[in-house]
Amino acid sequence: MNVLRRTEWPYTLALLALVCALALGSAAAQERELDPRVFEIGRELRCPTCVSESVGESNAAIAREMRVLIQEQLDQGANRAEVLAFFQERYGDWILQNPPMRGLNLLVWLLPIVAVLVAVVVITRLLRRWRTAAERPIDVVDPSDLDRVRAELRGGLGDGAGR
Amino acid sequence: MSRVRRLLPVVATVAALSALFLFGLLRGSPDRDIPSNFLGREVPNFDLPLYERYMSEFGPRLTLDEVLGRPMVINFWASWCGPCYEEAPHLQRAHERYGDEVLFIGIQTQDRDARAAGRAFINQFGLSFPNVFDGDSRTSIAYGLFGVPETFFVHADGTLHHKYAGPVTETILSEQIGALRR
Repeated sequence: MNVLRRTEWPYTLALLALVCALALGSAAAQERELDPRVFEIGRELRCPTCVSESVGESNAAIAREMRVLIQEQLDQGANRAEVLAFFQERYGDWILQNPPMRGLNLLVWLLPIVAVLVAVVVITRLLRRWRTAAERPIDVVDPSDLDRVRAELRGGLGDGAGR
Repeated sequence: MSRVRRLLPVVATVAALSALFLFGLLRGSPDRDIPSNFLGREVPNFDLPLYERYMSEFGPRLTLDEVLGRPMVINFWASWCGPCYEEAPHLQRAHERYGDEVLFIGIQTQDRDARAAGRAFINQFGLSFPNVFDGDSRTSIAYGLFGVPETFFVHADGTLHHKYAGPVTETILSEQIGALRR
């Protein structure tokens, strides 16, 4: 059953496109009303209901509400630190994208530095060892090693001759 | 001996990474275990509109500060939230069991423009304890909510005893309410 006649399709599609454009335009206009600082501060806050998204980036309802709240606080004269403190007071350190350097959070800051230091030490030692090995003259051979190789060769030749 | 010494850092690294991997697997969903920042402190006040069926008893709005004085169970829910439907009958039964001794408050949140859906939710479970509408989710932010459902067990003086994230069961309710009444 054809609900629409062939001549009505273009009009229907045009109307749908217009509705979509208006909806997108309205959403964009709502975001444009916010100060760019809202998004800057929002990027320093984790979205409570999202996975790996900040308040500045997320389109979740709670993140949008938090952006409006940030805007209101900025309008009332609060600065970046005060806004972050407001959310930290309610959600704890969890809400901050950059956790403060104290307690267990210190590990987050220190472990990468320790890992880099360990890697530098290991690589330096390996390079030094390889350079020493490369620089050592070939004719310097441990006499005991030489004796062992000669003995093995003699044994090997002996086995081969016996076959 | 020298081979053992050479292999030791590799073995140690693999063991450390395996331990880290196992720790990640076994610790479950970390977001569910985050304790509230209000533990032992007064929970934020709120003043929210009530659903019609509770207005005869409480008036058009419910203000937390005005109902302090007995242990409270504050439950945040949303009409789109599956686990909220799971826990609602348990909350209603617990409310019937404890009567006036414990005040149950339901807060519909993170559910903008969904009053009709909220009303349907309340009617579906015949929730007889007061339910309010947090249309702009400000109370949810004030309480540091990570999602729904979350339930706050609050002492009579307004200090937070425990926050539970996820759907509550009868066991959890009786344990936590028992602790509030002690």
